[in-house]
Amino acid sequence: MTPLLEARGVVKRFPGVVALSGVSFDLRAGELHALCGENGAGKSTLIKVLSGVHPAGSYEGELLVGGRPASFASVRAAERAGVAAICQELALVPEMSVAENLFLGDEPRRGPLIDYPSMRSAAKALLGRFSLSIDPDLPVRELGTGVKQLLEILKALRKESKVLILDEPTAALTASEAGRLMDILRDLRQRGMGLVYISHRLEEVFALADRVTVLRDGASVATLTAAEAGPETVIRHMVGRALTELFPRRAAHPGRPRLEFRSLSVAPAPGRPPFLKDVSLSVRAGEVVGLGGLMGAGRTELLMHLFGAWGVRVGGEVLLDGAPLPPGAPPERLAKGLALVSEDRRRFGLFLDQAVGFNLSLSSLSRLSGRALLDLAAEAEDNAAQFGSLRVKAPGLSARVGGLSGGNQQKVVLGRVLMTGPGVVLLDEPTRGVDVGAKVEIYEVINRLSADGKAVLLVSSELPELIGMSDRILMMREGRLTGEFGRGASQEDLLTAAMGK
Amino acid sequence: MDQQRLSPRAVSSAAALIALVAVFSALSPQFLSPRNLSMLAIELSTTALLALGMLLVILPGHIDLSAGSGAGLLGGIASVLVFKHGWPAPAALLLALAVGLLLWRSMGWLIVRERVPAFIITLGGLLVFKGLFWLVIHNSTVPVAPGGQTNLYAALTTWYLPKAAGWALLLAAWALLAWDGFKAKGDLEPRVLPRLVASQALLLGLLVANAFRGVPLPVLILAAATLFVVVLTELTPFGRWLYAIGGNEEAAVLSGVPVAKVVLGAFTLMGAFTALTGFLQTAYAGASTTTVGDLLELDAVAACVIGGTSLKGGRGTALGVLSGALIMTLLLNGMTLLAVSPEYKLVVRGLVLALAVWLDTRLGGR
Repeated sequence: MTPLLEARGVVKRFPGVVALSGVSFDLRAGELHALCGENGAGKSTLIKVLSGVHPAGSYEGELLVGGRPASFASVRAAERAGVAAICQELALVPEMSVAENLFLGDEPRRGPLIDYPSMRSAAKALLGRFSLSIDPDLPVRELGTGVKQLLEILKALRKESKVLILDEPTAALTASEAGRLMDILRDLRQRGMGLVYISHRLEEVFALADRVTVLRDGASVATLTAAEAGPETVIRHMVGRALTELFPRRAAHPGRPRLEFRSLSVAPAPGRPPFLKDVSLSVRAGEVVGLGGLMGAGRTELLMHLFGAWGVRVGGEVLLDGAPLPPGAPPERLAKGLALVSEDRRRFGLFLDQAVGFNLSLSSLSRLSGRALLDLAAEAEDNAAQFGSLRVKAPGLSARVGGLSGGNQQKVVLGRVLMTGPGVVLLDEPTRGVDVGAKVEIYEVINRLSADGKAVLLVSSELPELIGMSDRILMMREGRLTGEFGRGASQEDLLTAAMGK
Repeated sequence: MDQQRLSPRAVSSAAALIALVAVFSALSPQFLSPRNLSMLAIELSTTALLALGMLLVILPGHIDLSAGSGAGLLGGIASVLVFKHGWPAPAALLLALAVGLLLWRSMGWLIVRERVPAFIITLGGLLVFKGLFWLVIHNSTVPVAPGGQTNLYAALTTWYLPKAAGWALLLAAWALLAWDGFKAKGDLEPRVLPRLVASQALLLGLLVANAFRGVPLPVLILAAATLFVVVLTELTPFGRWLYAIGGNEEAAVLSGVPVAKVVLGAFTLMGAFTALTGFLQTAYAGASTTTVGDLLELDAVAACVIGGTSLKGGRGTALGVLSGALIMTLLLNGMTLLAVSPEYKLVVRGLVLALAVWLDTRLGGR
């Protein structure tokens, strides 16, 4: 049987990174094919290639639709060929009605005007096919996330798609909404469509999928029949790599607890249900505690809340060096010896147009000034000390940070945090997008911190890094801690805790 | 921080300055007369003062469109207190200044706490202050001093520093330049030339001023304000934070910058600069009339942008703003001397503002 959609040896490069290094994948009619892999394994890049977001020519390898070579110049071209993708970010216009959204860009017309009566009846018919009882005149903003997700799917179906690609469609859905979505997907499969499905929830994958393709480090490593393979096999393929000598963790003797959470619950905004639920953990002096989990598990939110930059505390308490730490803003946190290296340094960490020196000393200005004026000599001295000890490779302190490499930019962010003389250091993905050499240097900094009796809370999505650098590992899933592991933990154990299998 | 290098922007504004001076002095013999240059210095002071305040607001990525009509209002409040209620000038000026601080702090509060964009808040302020201004002066002309008398308010633009005191001040300024130059660490040589040029410019300025009546008081006020803004932006944590917020607000928050406090402070300072500008502008006109302050905010924004300030925030210097204000003032003063009609002056001002913003996007880099 000719596959509906096939990718052969797809290679996709970004400047400095190979995102896909030879992926082969095929989708049959009447099949639900799941894509699995760790964060950064290349799933999202692959579906962007399949759906025309990355146009033909920007990658190497072949794409075939119904056995014939296809080259999609755009998302529209892919849709014309019957391949539609439903993204994690919903592409609905909240102010428009359900019917208007379903027919957006392809409205039925009568002369130059939109033919609203026929649009409404067509929308009704479409909604009826999936036994959705929604008023087509309702503005989309009044619908829940789950219904919006279903609308997205209807939008794609209206375009006579043969292939539907779903990226984490259930991530924002409640259990009953997810159940309804899965029923609709089974129905579509029955009608002979091909479905590509990405989900971090392995139980969903095994409840739905006919076959599973596992991606790892940008390559397709296995395509398994779901009925024969179990979750363990899939996880083993997802992890599959050996720990190297990359992680020079030298454990220190843990001392007194410096940071403690007791049944902490945090909501994103007043009056909203808590997102972080009943989190209890402690980090002792000289200890590195790793915090793992999938994207959106709540790790970043936990650090941001602790630093006073996210959420409203609705329960529990935080102790810093044994004293209760009430909710507060980042300047107070810094004054109390907490410091945060945030994820996504270009967005949350750096002032790209400013000099290295400006970026290094920014969090320490109060200490570096007298009654009113900055002590420029002291600032230059402290900057030079950080610059030297972190071995930042840059022409000098006056070089523009935006011109440095990822690793050196990360060192500058780290330097800013170290200069504040923190007692508790929160690191959020400190080595993302950093080359191997700089990674090891950053690990050495972590070792130095814990040897000096600081408490380090390390968030990382890279399991080998988590295992290699942490004295203890806590896994999070959907705002809760789901497991605690010692140094000997295996990646399989961690993934299981992260995915809830 | 890092050494100032000659950017395309600096070169183009220097070229614009030279071209303007050349054209106007060729077309009008009075342009370079000591009398006109003194007037020009007073006009420069009002534009530059407001532009320096504007810099403090633009650096963290905001804007103030209400400054011109606010300047009219605050000048008007002082005029009315002096002329109609017989207040002593210093008390009237102080009260108007306090009103300015309060109004701008309130606008800053709305921007920071209620998250209303500065563009909208200050656009509202523009209209509200204009209306209040006309209410305060009853759409009439209110002199800054009762007939025939003089007071501190009127003296703001009519008092000149005695010539001998001018020389003493010049010596003090030279000493400050030299001391600041020697005190800084590192290689001495790159600091010599700019300081030599600055010393000579000051000398030339004093010679011209003394050829008329001496250094005008507004110039002294501007000098003090410039020194204040230079120190504030380059030597205090507050100044660094202004740049940080404009450069990347999210990163500033996570670096422990007290963003709300800093923006509130910038707007409060803008209130003080607006009040000062309003006093000078009203005193220069001799009275509050319905048009005092009209469009001043746009001249201030233009001066900032011409002087290399990014409207997105995070980039700009006090000295750059000063040069931008000089270009704007030269243009207006020269056109007045050449008896260009008000209609064309408006067109030229508008074109220069658009040109400056266009240049900002072209030369802005990122």
